[in-house]
Amino acid sequence: MTYAGPRDLLEVDLSARSARRVALGDDVFADALGGVGLAVRLLDERVRGPLDPLGPENPIVFAAGPFASTPVPAANKHALATISPLTGLLNEGLSSSHFSAVLRRCGLAAIVITGTAERWTTLAIDGDQVRFEDASDLVGFSARETTKALREGYGDRSLRVCAIGTAGERGVRFAAVENDGRQAGRGGTGAVFGAKRLKAVALRGRGEVLVADPVATAVLSARLRERALGPKTAKYRVLGTSANLRVLQRMGQLPTRNFTAATFAGAENVTPERARESKGTYLELRAGCAGCPVQCEHLYVRKERDRRAAAASEYESVWAFGPNCGVDDLDAVLDAVARCDVLGLDTISTGSAIAFAMECAEHGLVPRDAFGPMLRFGNAAVLLPAIDAIAERRGLGNLLADGVRAAAHALGGGAERFAMHCKGLELPGYEPRALPTYALGLATCTRGACHNRAATYDRDLRDPSAARDDDARARDAIAAEDRAVAWDSLVLCKFVRDCFEDFETEAAALWSAVGGLSLDGDGLRAAAQRTWERKRAINARLGWTPADDTLPERLFAEPIADGPNAGRRVEPDALASLRATYETLRREAGTALPVG
Amino acid sequence: MKVELFGMARALAGVGVVELALDGPVALPEFLRALADAVPALVPDVVRTSRDALVEPNLLLLDGRRALHDGERFGASDNPCVLFLASGG
Repeated sequence: MTYAGPRDLLEVDLSARSARRVALGDDVFADALGGVGLAVRLLDERVRGPLDPLGPENPIVFAAGPFASTPVPAANKHALATISPLTGLLNEGLSSSHFSAVLRRCGLAAIVITGTAERWTTLAIDGDQVRFEDASDLVGFSARETTKALREGYGDRSLRVCAIGTAGERGVRFAAVENDGRQAGRGGTGAVFGAKRLKAVALRGRGEVLVADPVATAVLSARLRERALGPKTAKYRVLGTSANLRVLQRMGQLPTRNFTAATFAGAENVTPERARESKGTYLELRAGCAGCPVQCEHLYVRKERDRRAAAASEYESVWAFGPNCGVDDLDAVLDAVARCDVLGLDTISTGSAIAFAMECAEHGLVPRDAFGPMLRFGNAAVLLPAIDAIAERRGLGNLLADGVRAAAHALGGGAERFAMHCKGLELPGYEPRALPTYALGLATCTRGACHNRAATYDRDLRDPSAARDDDARARDAIAAEDRAVAWDSLVLCKFVRDCFEDFETEAAALWSAVGGLSLDGDGLRAAAQRTWERKRAINARLGWTPADDTLPERLFAEPIADGPNAGRRVEPDALASLRATYETLRREAGTALPVG
Repeated sequence: MKVELFGMARALAGVGVVELALDGPVALPEFLRALADAVPALVPDVVRTSRDALVEPNLLLLDGRRALHDGERFGASDNPCVLFLASGG
């Protein structure tokens, strides 16, 4: 049996305006599966030492999920990997929907883009044809406007486009890439696009995507779809992730005002659940990825406003501009999220950069009037001017556009203690001082402070008071990291993760039915571990050392100030001990690298 | 006994707090039967049809801070909360 899915790799050199297709062998798919596994393998082959993330040699890799454009639900997804201009390390993001499916209908398993175009370019892939089209007239457009313009130009509404907005064009180091209203948001892949003068990738493909065993695929997919419509995903269908806000507030684990507090007095005002409950005031719209039964996205807008102003209400985005900036005005928060989507900015890093600036202003390190309205925690009026200044790299916005680590370094005067990041990537909205396993996962994550590459907070939150030893916590963190790699290689939406009884066995069976190559649960675990090891090997070549696996100084030095977890902090010795146990276990599991 | 509801439990109940007619400490199955009797809409998305366990990933935390030990009984002063986390994807 050979691999049944699309197997071509398209290698694009924007400098030479050349492209070539090569067929990847069965061994590549057996080794890397697809998605993040494949993207990381392709990067591993190409990144052999330090490089400038904004230079022509930095590859951008698209790798389709192996279930995209098949009957498997919640799986029209792709990985997008590069070297991050924010962290200087590996950055692998995910996006989803029609673009992912059409990638495979073009016969492609992956695209690798290197070089720098002479002028703004749209890479147009039309089946097996590749064109480099002038995108000068698209500069300044949002991703949505770019998509609309390209579709009109082609006279084809089915054209699928991923694109950057103003932030990517201006090289904001946390600029996102958007397709179909979905973003690969974290780590600044949009800035890498911008540095290459790559405005957009447009796809048109109508090829058939074959599966090896249609009957088994249909049976397994139907079972997953049925579960995905049941109680295991009801929370995403009915409420969305923003329901976390009330929960974390009740648990005293809601990072507030740049992690200076863990409860937020205005939490109830800013929770999107409240918008849902007040149906007379807000219009709720639903959206989701192509082929997904969950349809998890909940968008809100006041009824008197244009429905096109509706903003996604994901927990992390609402947290970043709400509690983390001390803002208790839901409309202002939703407008901030929507503005980030228009400009092509990662909401977590943008909100964190503004919260950082607010705290710097409190300490006299930046002018209070840098963005016009008073730069202070709680002032909703400053959000939009600050976001615009960051995207356009104006004034203080230019400094913040490099991320909080670089901004703190440039400001000096002790600003480093306000910069909440790991390896340069800004922290998401969970409180590491109250979640020890999560703290370890944040520190060791190859991407920086990412909550999705190891959902280690899950275990902590199930019993926040549990006393667990280093060995148990380190094993949990490793298992969570490896399982996340497996999910991201297949690429299945993590929102259906509770829909499997034995994830590795069932997912491996699904991969075999679709792709035709043999895989069992142990094989899936081994593939995930290989990919994790490649991630760390890439980072090591880029200059990462074990000392980088740490947390922001505030989490060690400042105990939680309020709420039921008041007084808790990360003990430096405790984290060091946890990390040592983690490294020992990683070595025993076969990690090839000397890791400290 | 007052019970705080979050997420799906709150959405299905339509309220953030329900009062159960329970006297004294109870074990989880007894508590869940009383909760399901008071808010039948919680079955089957939050409380299992058998009414003796929560549907994952809903969980019960006392005062939002600690999980129950096996067989532990709890009362009104423990401030039971039915919670869930909708983590990222």
